[in-house]
Amino acid sequence: MANVARKLSAPRRGVGNAFWSFMKSPGFARMLFPVAVILFWLGAMNVIISIWPFMAEVLPTPLEVWGAMWDELIDPFVDGIQAATRANVYATFGRSLIRLGAGFAIAMVLGTIIGLAMGLSKSVDAFFHDWVMAILAMPALAWALFLSLAFGFGHTGPILTVILTGIPFVIVNIREGVRNTPRELFDMARSYQVPQQRITRHVLVPSLMPFMFAAVRYAFSIGWKGLVIAEVFGGQDGAGWTIKFWYDAHRAHAVVGYAFFFILFAIVLEKIVFDPIQRRVFKWRPQITNLQLVEKMFDEPRLALDMATVADASAQPDGEGDRIDG
Amino acid sequence: MAEISVRNLHKEFGIGADKVVALENVNLEVGGHVFVSIVGPSGCGKSTLLNILSGIETPTSGKVEITQEGHEAAPGYVFQAARLLPWRTVLDNLLFVQKEQTAETRARCQRYLEMVQLGDKGTKYPGELSGGMQQRVGIARAFSIEPDVLFMDEPFSHLDAITARSLRRELHEMWKETRKTVLFVTHDVGEAVELSNRIVVFAKGGKLEDDITVDLPFPRDPADERVAVAKAQVLRKFEELDLVAT
Repeated sequence: MANVARKLSAPRRGVGNAFWSFMKSPGFARMLFPVAVILFWLGAMNVIISIWPFMAEVLPTPLEVWGAMWDELIDPFVDGIQAATRANVYATFGRSLIRLGAGFAIAMVLGTIIGLAMGLSKSVDAFFHDWVMAILAMPALAWALFLSLAFGFGHTGPILTVILTGIPFVIVNIREGVRNTPRELFDMARSYQVPQQRITRHVLVPSLMPFMFAAVRYAFSIGWKGLVIAEVFGGQDGAGWTIKFWYDAHRAHAVVGYAFFFILFAIVLEKIVFDPIQRRVFKWRPQITNLQLVEKMFDEPRLALDMATVADASAQPDGEGDRIDG
Repeated sequence: MAEISVRNLHKEFGIGADKVVALENVNLEVGGHVFVSIVGPSGCGKSTLLNILSGIETPTSGKVEITQEGHEAAPGYVFQAARLLPWRTVLDNLLFVQKEQTAETRARCQRYLEMVQLGDKGTKYPGELSGGMQQRVGIARAFSIEPDVLFMDEPFSHLDAITARSLRRELHEMWKETRKTVLFVTHDVGEAVELSNRIVVFAKGGKLEDDITVDLPFPRDPADERVAVAKAQVLRKFEELDLVAT
């Protein structure tokens, strides 16, 4: 088996092999994806325009969309419409981010308190249960419409929409976290007479962390979608309002471009905020590298064989066990 | 020398029709450098006794006391599963249960890790260790608070036969060296005979049925005829008791 393994892992040399191994790599596959998307986009446009020629006026090409995005990124003027009527992309997303941050923080604090109480007390759980389910079932659009009617244009409607769309996810996750705290670890700590403060810090909080993270992720992404809808109806600026602005101006390429900004915004947040925090907090989780996986697959059968040999050699007439129950 | 004293201990779970008696009027005195095994079938209250002694559970009635020269003494506890905090490193797991976290206790924890042959694993997380290694950490943790009394609740029952055997030997050496009082719950009679001076037998319903002294020299080889005879005696007693119980 060792010989086979060596042959398999022997490095191949030469330019041709390097080319093929690049073609087979996941990195290449990932690079191929946007190319495939653009080709599909252009192909689909051609098909649609050949059926309905008037669509040529509406459908933007990838280049037009990129142009609209580039103009936004480098210049507050787009298509000759003055920046005075609206903020550029940085200010727009900045404003939305402030609303999102405010609503999200409130949802996290309130949701954590309610979730903890629901996890700890059956009567509190019974009291809030139906309310949480009702809020969970309410579409973000309904909140956005109702709250912009109630509060008019401004910050209040969008922030409240973020809170109301995000909070049920926080509550449900924290409640489950409290219900799933590892009792055996608390018992262990108590038997060693560990002070309560240390138990809270080193047992309770870390055991809630995975649930806390799920809460943050859900509240943030659901809250973000809620915010965009709320800004369409109840905003005078912000990302949602701006995409509506381009819709009203019949600029399809700018609408699509702005949609791409939403995606970029989410990816950037994920990569520069959530990923590093998660890596740090869950450092303890075992991560098997590919090499370890291969070692495990090859070594474990051999190890089992070694152990069986040792067991045979040291076999005793009475062996282990003789358990008195099943 | 530590003294464990259990008087008229009674423990029930549930109420009304669901009531289960876990321990019934148990009296037990253990003291000095002894290794006492508690054996009995599943659900006979063995673990409940350790949980009450260590303060995890409270008795329905009766009294338990662990004293060291007149003062209350803290036990070390080795559980069936290692019960390590997965988010703390091995060394931090030992530090977590220390009264004070000084450089001195750190050095002590490191010393006990070396004693269970894991001196180089202090910075690893429990998830990176095998089941046997995790249980070794659990044993090192119990010894590291330098308790006078050590409780062990079927600590080797989850491990494969070879690992369990080598850990039993290590445990015996550590017990000899540190001169602790050990209460060891098991349902493996062979294990009990191999390790203990005394075997306390529990029957279903939480009754303490018998208290057997095993007077054989250590180390005990399971292949030794005297050990096999002692084991057969305990097993015979079990058969008799089972007949009595049913």
